[in-house]
Amino acid sequence: METLEAVTDIILETLLTSVRQVIPVPAAAQIPEVFQNSVAQSDIGVLVGFTGDLYGRIVIQGPSEVFGKIGETMFGMPLEGEMLHSFVGELANMVAGNTSTLMSSKGQTIDITPPTVMVGHLQLYGIEQGISVTVHLENAGEINIILLTQH
Amino acid sequence: MAKVLIVDDAAFMRMMLKNILMKGGHEVIGEAENGLDAIEKYKNLQPEVVTMDITMPVMEGIEAVRHIKEFDPNAKILMCSAMGQQLMIIQAIEAGAIDFIVKPFQEERVLESVRKVLSN
Repeated sequence: METLEAVTDIILETLLTSVRQVIPVPAAAQIPEVFQNSVAQSDIGVLVGFTGDLYGRIVIQGPSEVFGKIGETMFGMPLEGEMLHSFVGELANMVAGNTSTLMSSKGQTIDITPPTVMVGHLQLYGIEQGISVTVHLENAGEINIILLTQH
Repeated sequence: MAKVLIVDDAAFMRMMLKNILMKGGHEVIGEAENGLDAIEKYKNLQPEVVTMDITMPVMEGIEAVRHIKEFDPNAKILMCSAMGQQLMIIQAIEAGAIDFIVKPFQEERVLESVRKVLSN
């Protein structure tokens, strides 16, 4: 049986593969950082839960301008306000859905929850441990991909 | 050209699909935010084609397909979801969906799928 750490590594690797598959710009991931206790957000973030063989949550966060550029690259139109927030939720849905699809080919059945979009300065508590990876997207900027796994 | 009901919890995705369908000459006669809303709107609007998301609050898409097919066995539904694993596709087809598009999608793939669903 695989350890939690090994499973976490597989999910994280798959998550980053999904980011590259869903967002059509060159992406460079920095070294993952482990953290405890809480996640801070300063602009926009989105949370998607996953259930099934594995339980956990994925958070994608970053500046509005970066998500706006991603939206424009993917769908050819500038986005702002409510439509930008909706796009951020859909982006997380696509990344998490793609992750779920890739994990199924590795023998893990996972389902995802509808995304929860979080706007503004906030702090998420109740986190035992998480892994954060900053991903630089060419011509767009940086977003953080956060994986919160549970036993 | 078809009268289409778009079902997706994301306003952004409904807007994208609406633009694509209208460019393809179709008429979007309604939008629904979840499976339950979709069933009500299907009964009221009687669309020729439904685009159905899967992961939605209140009621997910595959369950909504089952209910719509119970009401109208001839309903033409295409799934449009970020969840592309084989099991999900099989469940959707078994529930009565005719085709399955995985997000993110290309415009032509959507229009091709509507054509396929209409000719079924």
